[in-house]
Amino acid sequence: MVCDPFLEGKMEGKKTKGTVADRRDFLKRSAVTVAAAGAVAVSGKTASASEVEVPSGAGYRETEHVKAFYDSARF
Amino acid sequence: MSGSVAVQNSISEEDILRADMYGFLAALFRKEPSDELISTVAALEGDQSPIGGACLTLAHLAKTLDNDLIRHEYVTVFVGVGRGEILPFASYYLTGFLNDKPLANLRADMAAIGIARADGVKEPEDHISSLFDMMAGLIRGSFGRVYSVAEQASFYRKHVEPWAGMLMGDVETAKSAVFFAPAGTIGRAFLDIESQAFSMDGTG
Repeated sequence: MVCDPFLEGKMEGKKTKGTVADRRDFLKRSAVTVAAAGAVAVSGKTASASEVEVPSGAGYRETEHVKAFYDSARF
Repeated sequence: MSGSVAVQNSISEEDILRADMYGFLAALFRKEPSDELISTVAALEGDQSPIGGACLTLAHLAKTLDNDLIRHEYVTVFVGVGRGEILPFASYYLTGFLNDKPLANLRADMAAIGIARADGVKEPEDHISSLFDMMAGLIRGSFGRVYSVAEQASFYRKHVEPWAGMLMGDVETAKSAVFFAPAGTIGRAFLDIESQAFSMDGTG
């Protein structure tokens, strides 16, 4: 379920603790990770068609691990 | 994703997947979908979650609908003759006019980041796909450095959150939307998650 961790805290009237761990945990539990794993090939292939670009010399870099991730996740 | 791929430079796996989701949605709403995009969408998998269910619906439509029909639907919904049913620009959603203050604010923030509209792109920069590209770039570190979650949240709250959820809701219910209806559902559910996740990080 997408909203579980957050809604639970809300319904009990607790203030959600603002920690990075909470956020990561929430994102892991959300459907983003499931769905995005399938979407990755789409976004990878269309990256060059982006409407936005960094002017040359602005230090553009596509880190190796991101590239490696695309290669491994492509289907 | 295989476990052998090292995730470094403080970009977590969740954040890479968030960037991929932004990239995916940007591709869907950017222009008439290509055959290649449609065939990739047809291979999407899903589950019981709202996003997963909409992914299954979208994949089914990509498999069954004629590609030209999907492209025709895109034009009807987002381009139109004169104008489409939906104008997916921040300025229009926030002020009722294209190219108004929200676009100027965005351009100022883009200049600060060091990015500009690509040559040959005629649409204003506040198109939803362009904003999703920027979110993906901030997360991935495509614009010189990886932007912190707090910085991502600031950009998101200013340029995306005030209107993008409304846009996705409009896409879901647009008169001519068939293929794009579940795409709107995916977008809306994802933005809900983003808003909630940002509010958990002590930034809001």
